[in-house]
Amino acid sequence: MKVAIIGAGIAGLATAYFLAKEGVKVKVFEQKFLLHGASGRNSGGLTAQFKDEELIKLALRSEELYEKLQSEIGFNFLLRRSGYLKLAKTKEELEEVEFQRRFGLKLKLLHAEEVGEIFPDINTNAFKFASYYPRGGVVFPWAVIWGLAKGCKDLGVEIHDFKKAEVVVENGKVKGVSAGEFHEAEVVVNSAGAWSKEINEKLGIKDERVIVKEEICVTESIRPYLDPYILHVSNGLFLSQSMRGEIVGGIVGKSNGGVGSSFDFLVRYAKLATNLVPKLKGLSILRQWAGVYDEGINGKPVMGFSKVQGLYQLNGFGRNGMSIALACAEKATKEILNAQLR
Amino acid sequence: MVQVKDGRLMEHPILNFRRGKEVTIYFNGKQIKAYEGETVASALYAAGIRVFSRSFRWHRPRGFFCAIGKCSACMMEVDGVPNVRTCKVYVRDGMQIRTQTGFPSAERDIFAISDKIIDRIFPHGSQYTKFNNKLIRDFVLSQLRKMTGFGNPPKKEFQGNASYEEIHCDVLVIGGGPAGMSAAINAGKYGAKVLLLDENPFLGGQLVKQTHRFFGSAKHKAGTRGIKIAKILEEELRKIPNVDVRLETKAFGIYGREVGAVEKDKLLRIIPKKIVVATGAYERTLIFENNDLPGVYGAGGVQTLMNVYGIKPGNRGLIVGSGNVGLILSYQLLQAGVEVSAIVEAMPRIGGYFVHAAKVRRLGVPIYVRHTILRALGKDRVEGAVIAQLDEKWKPIPGTEKKLDCDFICVAVGLSPTHELLYQAGCKMKFVPELGGLVPLRSKYNETSVKGVYIAGDVAGVEEATAAIMSGRIAAIHAIVELGMGGEEAKKELEEALKDIEEFRAGPFGERIVCGIEKCILASEVEL
Repeated sequence: MKVAIIGAGIAGLATAYFLAKEGVKVKVFEQKFLLHGASGRNSGGLTAQFKDEELIKLALRSEELYEKLQSEIGFNFLLRRSGYLKLAKTKEELEEVEFQRRFGLKLKLLHAEEVGEIFPDINTNAFKFASYYPRGGVVFPWAVIWGLAKGCKDLGVEIHDFKKAEVVVENGKVKGVSAGEFHEAEVVVNSAGAWSKEINEKLGIKDERVIVKEEICVTESIRPYLDPYILHVSNGLFLSQSMRGEIVGGIVGKSNGGVGSSFDFLVRYAKLATNLVPKLKGLSILRQWAGVYDEGINGKPVMGFSKVQGLYQLNGFGRNGMSIALACAEKATKEILNAQLR
Repeated sequence: MVQVKDGRLMEHPILNFRRGKEVTIYFNGKQIKAYEGETVASALYAAGIRVFSRSFRWHRPRGFFCAIGKCSACMMEVDGVPNVRTCKVYVRDGMQIRTQTGFPSAERDIFAISDKIIDRIFPHGSQYTKFNNKLIRDFVLSQLRKMTGFGNPPKKEFQGNASYEEIHCDVLVIGGGPAGMSAAINAGKYGAKVLLLDENPFLGGQLVKQTHRFFGSAKHKAGTRGIKIAKILEEELRKIPNVDVRLETKAFGIYGREVGAVEKDKLLRIIPKKIVVATGAYERTLIFENNDLPGVYGAGGVQTLMNVYGIKPGNRGLIVGSGNVGLILSYQLLQAGVEVSAIVEAMPRIGGYFVHAAKVRRLGVPIYVRHTILRALGKDRVEGAVIAQLDEKWKPIPGTEKKLDCDFICVAVGLSPTHELLYQAGCKMKFVPELGGLVPLRSKYNETSVKGVYIAGDVAGVEEATAAIMSGRIAAIHAIVELGMGGEEAKKELEEALKDIEEFRAGPFGERIVCGIEKCILASEVEL
C-alpha cells in the first residue's frame, strides 16, 4: 500500500512512522520546512487534564508512546515530567477533577497557599485553586519533530519539504497527491493542522472549523527554578521554563486572525505573567512569535475517513496536539490498515 | 612612547581622555579601581580580566568581543540583576559584579573540563541521540537541568518604576548614527514632528571611535575626523525643537503601524506616520580554530576600547582583513603604542585605500596577502596565531604555516547590515554580497516594500559614514514630501540629494555599492 501524508507536524510524522513500521510505503509532504506549523511553535505542555473521556484516554496512551518512541527511535525529546498545574479563580473552573480521577489520573486539588509552599515565588492572590497533575510536564517540541523525522527516515519514509501538496481525486476516490509532480497513493492523510481546512474546502468537503491564532514569547535565560507547566484557566496565561532556562509563555488564543506577532500581546502577557510570578519583572523578552492551529469539533480531534474515498482526516487537535497526537496517529494507523484489509 | 597606567592610555596624539572620579567596583568580590564614564567591561579589561563568561554547553572561555552590546559574551550579574551586558553599563561606586557561568567563577571553572573530556565522549547534540534507556535518560535530564541557564533568578522583586507612554509623530527614526541623525535633521528642518531613538547613551553611532579624517569633497565634511562629524551633526540636531531625542531606547518591533520601544524602564508605543530604520551594521567574524578564545575581538570592539575608553587592548595585535577598517585600526593601534604583528588578507591584494596601506607599511607592519588565519593559540587567552598561504581555490597550502607572536587578534572582515527589525516588519529581503548581506529591496528614495518604512545608512548596504548621511537625507525628505510637507523646496532638495549620492558613488570605490543596489531595487521601480 502507498500512503501520502500532507503535513509534517507531530501527527503526520508519527502516522508516517507507525505506518512505515507496518511495511507501508509512505511519503510525507510539507508545504514549508519542518517546524513551520503549530508543532514547531507551541510551548510543549503535556497533560491529560481534559473534560472528555476520549481525550483523557488519548493523552494517557500518548504518555506511554512518548517513552516508547524515544527508546525505539534513539532520540531524546527532552521530556520532563515535572507536573502540569492548572490554576483557577473559582472551584467551578476545575470541576472536571472528579471526572478525571475516574480514569486513574492522580490529581491533587490544591489551595493557592499550598501551591505557594511548593513554589514560593508564585503570587497566591492571583488564583484560588489549582489542579496539579504530577505526570504532566513539558517536552521540547522541536526535538519531538526531529526525532520523529529521524525515525521516519530510518524506516525509509520520504519526507518532501517545501512541497505544497494537493489531493488528486478521480470519481470521488483519492488517486494520490500532486506536489510539483504526481505521487500515487491509495490513502491520503490530511494532517495539515491549520491548513487542513483549506485542503478540505478545495475538495468540496464542508469544514466550518475555526482557525485560532496564539502568541508566545520567551525571556532571557535564567537558572531553571520553575519546574511545572502552569496554565491559568481563568485568564489564559501559560508559562514554563525550558531546558535552556528561558521562560516560555503566552496567552491561550481566541481570535481568528493572521500569523503576525502583536504589541498588545506583549503588554497583556507581561502584565499577567508578572502578576502571577512577580520576580519575572525586569527580565527581558528575547523573542516572540505567533502560530495557528485548527480547533476540532466540540474540542475533539477530527479523525477518520471522509466522504472522499481514501482521504483520512487527522486534524483538529486545537491546543492539545503535543498531548494527544501520538495516540491519535497510532489509532489512525490502525484504521488505515484495517480499511485496506476490508 | 605612549604612557600607560593601570592598563589605560594616559596620553594620545589625537584623543584626550577625560576620566571621571575614581570609584571602586567589586568583581567576584575582588576590589577593582575604575573611573566614572567607563563601562564595566572596559574597566574589567583594564584590570587585566579577560574571561568574562563561559559558553553555554562546553564551558569554553568567552571574553570581550564587540563592545557595543551585540555579542552577549560579556553578560554578568550586576548588583543582583542577571544577564547584564557589561559593555553597555557604566561603573558606579560600590558596584557588585559577578560572573554567571562556571563554578566557582568564569575565570576558574571546573566545568571547563567538559570541553576537553566530555566533548570527546558526548559530542555536540548527544543530549538528543544518546541516553536511550529511560532511567538513564531521566537521570541525565534532571542533572542537565541543574547545570543549564545563564543568570541566577532574581533574588528580589524588580524595584524599577515601570511606566508607559504613547507617542504620535510624523517621522520615527530608529538609530542615532550618521544616517539617523541626518534623517532627523532633514525631516525636522521642514517642520515634521520627529522622534529619534538610539539604544546607546550617546548619539553618533560608530562615528565616536573614528579618529581618522574623512575623504571626499569639502561639502561632505572631508578632512574632518569622524568624532568631530558626530558633534557637528548633534549640534545641528539639537537646534531643531521639533526633534525629540530618546537615548538608551531600544526599538524592539514594528507591528504594522505601531512601533514598540523600551526607554530605560518605560515602555513606548509609538504611532509614526513614516519610519526611517537606520540601525547600522554589526561586525562579522571568521571561522577558524579557537576563534572564540578571549583575545579574538571585532575590530570595532578594539576601536571602542581604545578610542572611546582609552584602554590599551594588548601589547601586540594581529589584524585579520586589510579593508579600510583593518588598515585604519592598525594605524590607530600604532598611535596608541601597541605593536602590530601583521595584517593578514585572504584576497590577492589589499582591500582598503592605498593611502592607508602605505601609512602602515611605512611604519614597518608586514601585510600578508593571499594568507589566512588557521588558528588562535592559547588556553584561556590568545598567546599567538598560526597563519598560512592560500592557493587559487582558497585552500591553505601545507608547509606554509607560520606562527605569529601576538596577544590579541582583531577580526576586520567586514560588516553585515543589522536587518532584524526590517525582516520582522515584513520587508522583502535579499542577500546581496556587495552590500554586506541580507538587505531589504528598496525604491530609489530608500523606501522598502512595506510602505512608509524607509532605510538609511549601513542597514541599506554597508558603505561608510558620508554615504550614510546622504542616504538619511534622501529617506527623510521623501518621507516628509509624501506627508505633504516641505512644498516645492523639499522636492527640489530631494532631487539634489539623489544627484549628490550618485556623484559620490561615481568613483571606483562606489562601483561595488552601485552594482549591489541595482540588485535590490524594487520590481515596481524597474522600467520594462
